[in-house]
Amino acid sequence: MISPQIALHDPIFRAYFWIVLISLAIGGATLGFLRVVLKKDTASMFRTYWSWIFMAGIGLIVVFLGRIPTIVGVTLLAIYAFKEFARASGLYRDWWMTGAVYAGIVTVGISSVISHPRGEEPGTGWYGFFVAVPVFEIALILFIPILRNRARGELQRMSLAIVGFIYIGWMFGHLGFLANASNAYGFICYIIFATALSDVAAFTFGKIFGRHPLRSEISPNKTWEGALGAFAVAMILPWILRFSFPFFGIWQLILTGLIVGIGGQLGDLSISVIKRDIGTKDMAATIPGHGGILDRIDSLIYAAPLFMHMAGYYYPLR
Amino acid sequence: MKKWRYDSSRDLERTPLDRLRQFPREPDILVYGLRSIVALIIRGLLRIYNRFEIIGHENLRTNRSLVIVANHCSHLDTLCLLAALPLRKLHRAFPAAASDYFFQSVPRLWIAAVIVNALPFARQMRVRQSLSLCEQLLISPGTILIIFPEGTRSTTGELREFKSGIGALVAGRDVPVVPCFIDGSFLAWPKGKRLPRPRKLRLIVGAPLNYRACGRDKMEICAIAAELREAVNELRQRNGSN
Repeated sequence: MISPQIALHDPIFRAYFWIVLISLAIGGATLGFLRVVLKKDTASMFRTYWSWIFMAGIGLIVVFLGRIPTIVGVTLLAIYAFKEFARASGLYRDWWMTGAVYAGIVTVGISSVISHPRGEEPGTGWYGFFVAVPVFEIALILFIPILRNRARGELQRMSLAIVGFIYIGWMFGHLGFLANASNAYGFICYIIFATALSDVAAFTFGKIFGRHPLRSEISPNKTWEGALGAFAVAMILPWILRFSFPFFGIWQLILTGLIVGIGGQLGDLSISVIKRDIGTKDMAATIPGHGGILDRIDSLIYAAPLFMHMAGYYYPLR
Repeated sequence: MKKWRYDSSRDLERTPLDRLRQFPREPDILVYGLRSIVALIIRGLLRIYNRFEIIGHENLRTNRSLVIVANHCSHLDTLCLLAALPLRKLHRAFPAAASDYFFQSVPRLWIAAVIVNALPFARQMRVRQSLSLCEQLLISPGTILIIFPEGTRSTTGELREFKSGIGALVAGRDVPVVPCFIDGSFLAWPKGKRLPRPRKLRLIVGAPLNYRACGRDKMEICAIAAELREAVNELRQRNGSN
């Protein structure tokens, strides 16, 4: 079980502490070079950069604090991300539906904290219930219109609530469940760091080499060049950071690369589809230079559950 | 297939801080939940710590829009008046709060917007604009405006003159005006003290008044303000306060 005492002596957590620090320093130095030597206008990039520092600090502290703080942190993030989704999609006006989804997200968090009532040591999470939460949540969401004796427009509300819960609440909740793994530091730190780095890579490669639009109808600013750059970074990274999961073989490393490299991009694009259809640029203006929380965690939402189930298929999480 | 219409909130592009500042606020079930929980805790604390008591509770029992007018010596006044309302009406109850005091620093802003659901009232400039905002709110039924017409907390515990704005708000308008007197709040938490003291608090709710027949000229507006002050003062004398 992860805890502050263990984190202080854990080589993986300590390594990631330095990796994050050094990456931020390199990023800051690069931006400083652009600004001072090349005299580029970097004001907006610096705003994004300060937010990165802030988020990295909070993330490191929360993971350092241990298993339950990590799960609570992920749950709070999921609640806030769903709130942004509900506000953008108009679902927030329906208190019943939003209330049901919030209750579902909290249930996901609880199922990650408690252990199976019969047997199993504490601190493992209740995997069977965690995976089954969507069944109960969808049953609850479908029950709400019947309870209120309403039909008009309910299909839209039910659909939005189910997409919001499954995608933002449950799939993102996998990141919290990873805190139960025996290799929690390696898994959590790697997946967060890798998706963040591949996002930055996509931005950087797109900025420098970007010519051909990736999906012109969905997100006009994303390019094939950026996506390929991010993909390359994501494929190389598991080999560089192999110490995070020393038991991974070649296939697992390749799969990890594919999940982050392709999954991360797809997560980004899938939130763009939602935003494009709603007709908004960002989900919210919560993080300066990034948009909403949902805009920030979009690639993580897609990659974290795939990564967890891939790792869980080959090796027991505990 | 018919196209879905997304009814997005109007403040998507605003930062969280700006969203706290804006008025009227967008509904938010998380904020409502938090507000209700904190309101329950405050009610419990007032009853235990200040032996809070309400007299004339039946005068508040209506589903129409209301204007509550009270004396003001302490931050406890707002909490007492909110504690007299049913929980489900809390999110439609707006205590008018000085925007120069409550809507500047972030902690105060958060308390005013989330816990108290305050209406930012520009008492120094743009008073007229704030009053017309109040008027718009009163149009939808079930709105409860809480106004302290003295304009600020009294430093002596005495009832100060009422500003004429209250008259302008209610003159010629078919809306019940409920005068209230809060007894003991000056002793419990006077201006300038950091924390409240365990003194007895009483809220005396008077019978509703109506000024639908009054004209809107300066004289009558001032007369209404004076009459309301007299009504609050009478509640104080009738209920044998110190």
